[in-house]
Amino acid sequence: MVKFIVRRFLLLLLTMVLVSVAVFLITESSPGNVARNVLGSFVTPEQEASFLAQMGLDKPVYTRYLYWLLGSDWHASRKVGLSLKRIKTREGFEEWWALREDGALIRWKLQGEDLIAVVRLFEDTISEYFNNERWQPDEHGVSSFWGVDTKNHVVKWEKDSDLKVWTFVMGTGWMETTGGPIEYIPLKKGFIRGDPGLSLRTGRPVAKSLFIRLRNSLVLAGIAFIIVMPLALFLGMIAGLKEGTLRDRVLSVGGMMFSVTPEFATGIFLILIVAVWLGLVPGATVFGEKAPWERPDMLILPVLTLTLIELGYVLRITRASMVEVMRSPYIRTAFLKGLPYWRIVLKHAVPNALIAPITVIMLHVNWLMGGIVIVEVVFGYPGLGKYLLDSALHKDINALEAGAMVLVTVAVGTQLIADIIYTFLNPRIRYT
Amino acid sequence: MNFTLNGVEVTGGKQEAIAPGGFPSRSNFLRRMWEGVSIVFASKTAVIGLAIVLFWVSVAVFAPFLTPYTPLEQDWKAPNQGPSSTHILGTDELGRDLWSRLIYGARVVLVIMPISESLWVPGGTALWGVFTALLIGMTLGLVSGYYGGWLDEIVMRLLDAIMAVPIILLYLIIMAALGASAMNVVIAITIVGTPGIARLVRSLTLDIRTREYIKAAETRGESPWYAMFVEILPNARGPIIVDAMLRVGYAIFAMGTLGFLGLGLPPPSPDWGSMVAKGREFILAGSPWAALWPSVAIASLVVGLNLLADGLREESMRYQ
Repeated sequence: MVKFIVRRFLLLLLTMVLVSVAVFLITESSPGNVARNVLGSFVTPEQEASFLAQMGLDKPVYTRYLYWLLGSDWHASRKVGLSLKRIKTREGFEEWWALREDGALIRWKLQGEDLIAVVRLFEDTISEYFNNERWQPDEHGVSSFWGVDTKNHVVKWEKDSDLKVWTFVMGTGWMETTGGPIEYIPLKKGFIRGDPGLSLRTGRPVAKSLFIRLRNSLVLAGIAFIIVMPLALFLGMIAGLKEGTLRDRVLSVGGMMFSVTPEFATGIFLILIVAVWLGLVPGATVFGEKAPWERPDMLILPVLTLTLIELGYVLRITRASMVEVMRSPYIRTAFLKGLPYWRIVLKHAVPNALIAPITVIMLHVNWLMGGIVIVEVVFGYPGLGKYLLDSALHKDINALEAGAMVLVTVAVGTQLIADIIYTFLNPRIRYT
Repeated sequence: MNFTLNGVEVTGGKQEAIAPGGFPSRSNFLRRMWEGVSIVFASKTAVIGLAIVLFWVSVAVFAPFLTPYTPLEQDWKAPNQGPSSTHILGTDELGRDLWSRLIYGARVVLVIMPISESLWVPGGTALWGVFTALLIGMTLGLVSGYYGGWLDEIVMRLLDAIMAVPIILLYLIIMAALGASAMNVVIAITIVGTPGIARLVRSLTLDIRTREYIKAAETRGESPWYAMFVEILPNARGPIIVDAMLRVGYAIFAMGTLGFLGLGLPPPSPDWGSMVAKGREFILAGSPWAALWPSVAIASLVVGLNLLADGLREESMRYQ
């Protein structure tokens, strides 16, 4: 058992590594880039280059993969020569600072020709002073300096550089400044240390938005799961009790029809019938800043769509399993012994008939995730699936990678849980 | 269609009378075809399924003769209309005729695969996806089942890794990377379908490999490729064909889903999924038709295929 779990865990790690590398390579090799997707097609090549450099996207792909996986602070700190520290301000922003030789938090900015050090003593006390002695002249007579800037990069400034920098500020537009750094390393702790970086699309930390999106998706999937499971197992058993009866035909054909119809079609039908024609509940989900459970009426249609899709699938599996059990010799023996009908069904048939569906349902989570993505898009539900789709369409690599890792973990994790449940439900495996 | 029916009939395992040349003789072939057809008509669900599928296949084949409009023709004076005598099913937001878009959409799924603006090949996009997945999956399954050993181990572990990745994620990444086109839809369907087929074929190969006629072929000095493709594959065809039929349903499902997410065929072309995605925006504005019809179309086609497959499977099991 332990050996088995370890094996599965290793498979999970292997899959995650393979997927993360594949996502990087595929995104890399495909045409278009995040700058054009985010900024629109009217950016000048200089603005595009500046944007890419600030995001650290001008670096070779293996460097970016390493930064994404292990973080960039250890590498950047060697360039600066001071150790780096991430702090959280009172407003909840994350800031990177260097630790000055005496232990104070320090960052730098460039004003004209002068290097200015910004020192943070306490929460609100910030002092600035000229720090030109840190310029390091090289053999060509150009003075340069590696330091932490005020936007969480480690950057290399050069004295008398007239490099133009364009910064895109949401709502304001482009800001043009001169004398910008010639190299950027965006600071992050790396995926392994729990920091997937900033979303290139929104500029916000991926971990934060991902958490909220994941929570919303789990609410949706959880409610659907709670409704589907008892209902589908019950209906499936009813259908499987007597094979070939009208009740069986109606339930299994109906279940099949619901489970093979694409989610978006089911969603459209439900919107048209329930929201437009009957006018009972809203046909789209708009939460704003609210959590999904604060507007339960908007949850009804997405949950119903998911329920219908999953109901048919689980129902059919349960039915097949029940039919097989009802045909087996030990059930016949029980009948011949003259035991009461419901006692045979409930005590002899049902426990054995449940083994297959429960494990298959867990394996089905892989499909369910696809369903959730579609349902989220149909209803505009702010969940993980929609986040992933938007990230993929914009080539927002940090967000895409993080979302992909979450999905892979859920998929492989549920397979592991399915196997464990299976061994507990089936004593024939447990005791050997 | 006949080929498929024939194959399912073979699953029943009744007729193994094969003429000396290795091909079924003509009268034998006709008889088996007749048996295949009679299996369909023995099951009510299969007949209903067949009727739905045949409806879509025929409107797809004869699409140019069934509508006076092309799917791209825009009527600026009549956007977002309901059904009327000029437009049987109504129009979409650009005034394009929904009926012609619907049947040309069926054409892309079932009859032709557009490669570029002017070039297309026969065989629907969904069918091509299943076909290439079958080709690659069968080869991988045969090779790893026949040779076994480290080759088997490597191939199967890689396929395991692909299968562990959520399907929707595979679609998203593949399509986001490759861009929207019919060829890329085929590639996506292939990558997602291959592992399952390879697993199935491998397990069949493991079983058949131990039979005497394989030993005989090897002793005769036939090459491994001969043993795999001439001896093993034809004897494994039954389950493969049933699996392939279900996969056509999945492929149409996948095509619709990709189209709906904006990852299917590029915009002006008639694609059921993207028609729904566009039409969805106008539902709450009071014109549901553009989203309704393609949803009905894809749902009916997929349900029809599954009814057909279900009915066939049940009937052929009864024969067994």
